[in-house]
Amino acid sequence: MHCFCLLIKKTATRNLLSNQMVSQLVVVKNESGLHARPASVLVKHATKYQSEFTIKMYGYSVNGKSILGVMTLAAECGAEMELVLEGPDEQEALRELVALFENKFQSHNEQE
Amino acid sequence: MNQFTQPVLLSGKPAAPGIGIGQARILKSETTGVSPETIGPESITENLKKYEKASSFLLQEYEMLKSSTGDRDAKDILDAQIQILQDPELEKTIRRQIKQERYSMEYAVFNTFNDYIRLFQSSSVRWANDRVIDVVSIRDELIDAAREKKKVIRVKPNEIVFAEDISPAVMVKISRTEIAGIVIERGGLTSHVVILSQSLGIPCVINARWNRYELKKGASVIIDGIAGQVILNPTADQKETYRQRKGDEVLRFKKALDWVLSPNETRCGSSFTLRANVEFLEELPKVNEYMAEGIGLLRTETILFESENFDVVKQMKFYSTLLEQTGDHPVTIRLFDAGGDKLLEDSVRESNPFLGWRGVRMLLDKKDLLRKQLEAVYRVSALFPGRIRILIPMVSRTEEIERVREVCDEVQRNLKKQSLQPDGKIPLGIMIEVPSAVLVADQAAALCDFFSIGTNDLTQYTFAVDRGNERVSELFDSFHPAIWKLIKMTKEAADRAEIPLTICGEMASRPEAAACFVGLGITDLSMNSASIPKVKSVLCRHTLAEMQKLAADVTATGEIQEIHKLLTKWRF
Repeated sequence: MHCFCLLIKKTATRNLLSNQMVSQLVVVKNESGLHARPASVLVKHATKYQSEFTIKMYGYSVNGKSILGVMTLAAECGAEMELVLEGPDEQEALRELVALFENKFQSHNEQE
Repeated sequence: MNQFTQPVLLSGKPAAPGIGIGQARILKSETTGVSPETIGPESITENLKKYEKASSFLLQEYEMLKSSTGDRDAKDILDAQIQILQDPELEKTIRRQIKQERYSMEYAVFNTFNDYIRLFQSSSVRWANDRVIDVVSIRDELIDAAREKKKVIRVKPNEIVFAEDISPAVMVKISRTEIAGIVIERGGLTSHVVILSQSLGIPCVINARWNRYELKKGASVIIDGIAGQVILNPTADQKETYRQRKGDEVLRFKKALDWVLSPNETRCGSSFTLRANVEFLEELPKVNEYMAEGIGLLRTETILFESENFDVVKQMKFYSTLLEQTGDHPVTIRLFDAGGDKLLEDSVRESNPFLGWRGVRMLLDKKDLLRKQLEAVYRVSALFPGRIRILIPMVSRTEEIERVREVCDEVQRNLKKQSLQPDGKIPLGIMIEVPSAVLVADQAAALCDFFSIGTNDLTQYTFAVDRGNERVSELFDSFHPAIWKLIKMTKEAADRAEIPLTICGEMASRPEAAACFVGLGITDLSMNSASIPKVKSVLCRHTLAEMQKLAADVTATGEIQEIHKLLTKWRF
């Protein structure tokens, strides 16, 4: 059992209208899980979009734009989570964020 | 000379290599105290403003630090600090606590951060523990900014910095000066201070309990980031020795590298085998660069600590990556070797963990974990037949071998039922690290396929000495006649049973000991990959006869001084 549950409860799950959001199940594929660095990459990419971004895991939800929230999930390799996006650019955002999980958070545009 | 200026040797964990000689500089970690204060409705706006101001001040500071450093890791780490500072949920909670709970800005910050800090502290995931200092430092820096208290940290070149722990921002600041080393009281190997020390080439030792000594600013210090040792108030002789070592080390390492590509043969053409001890995937490039013949000891504690419940898939990935990247050489996987207290919540703290429930003892009690590790190993073995060897840690009685073998058989049967083809001939060996195992080596040899000597634990258990305990650590000497005798006994038992014997302990990484092992006929040695060039250069430059003479002399004498004298010439 994960011990990171206390705080996550505080983030209320919003009742989203089903026609106004997109979501997809993803699996954490990088070996050491969603540790600090991948969490940082995820948040950085999510913050570019206007859409609200929620991650659901083990029945808890966290704001996907909150680095502390994402880190408290302590998601390990193989963990399944649902990415929920709602807003004007939800489709693009979902596509990019799902791709990040697929690519194990190796962001290509990081090297300046 | 009073007691505080006498030399003191501190042992810690090596975290970033190199030798540093300099003056002590103590970075006190002042815990920021905040009293629970509430405010009147008229002060809400003022407190919100104060928070915004402090936050933007800190943001500017982090941005400035970021642009001032050329180090990629440092930039990434500062980016992460900025993300935390700007975390929307954190901001929301702080604002809410000011507006609704009527907390003062400082208390709202303190309180909100502490919720997260507690979560990270209590996490069973190790990287999360190492993030605590990051979050604590942002909390304290925010509060300091609000109080307009500026902490100016100035270090001078050649100083050796002593701290409880160091935040990333402070680390970047101090690394602008050419400091000679960093000594951390606590720290984990994945903490930012360690990552940055390695990346910036600053010698670093962690888990060195310097705090109990009355260390004065400016006191003379030597740090040895390879051995994980720190000497406070060294004598002039010690300083000179280390100064020379520092110069020699650079030179010698360059020379030793010339031998890396030569065949693994003594000067007279007798062959030996050098393998690498490995724990992390990051070590693989060096393993290949130094031409190690595979992995003689794969430590699985980190991978298993990081994966909850010995996750089979995660283990399989780890093992296959290692096997893929080590050519056709063997990989010896040591089963989980740690105290159960670190892993399992339901266990009670042991008063003496090193004599307690660890290694094979724990695995045989928690068979589900043992099965999972073996399942991962046997599943992977189907793809890499003939390359894997399994090593059982902490064997003190022969029954333990039989019981592990039963589980191996069971796991194989189950996999075959699923029509998988695990390698049915994986050799099952035991670590020789408890003296009782040496004393029953003949019986043990009949039950297993190979022996591997762990010299550190063997020394610890033979002398009943914890080398982390400075009061007795001087008694810890792996070169003592008692240890040589145990090694020789093990070799004789292995020969009688005609099973291979390898050495995978720290001793193998010492060229003088390695030469002696080869002289004893133990030619399969495994060590940290960084030591391979120096060991190889000594073995290649001598004949087998010379090493046999050395081994005969070393094992014949009962005098520790004599042994050290005999071995000195063989150190480089």
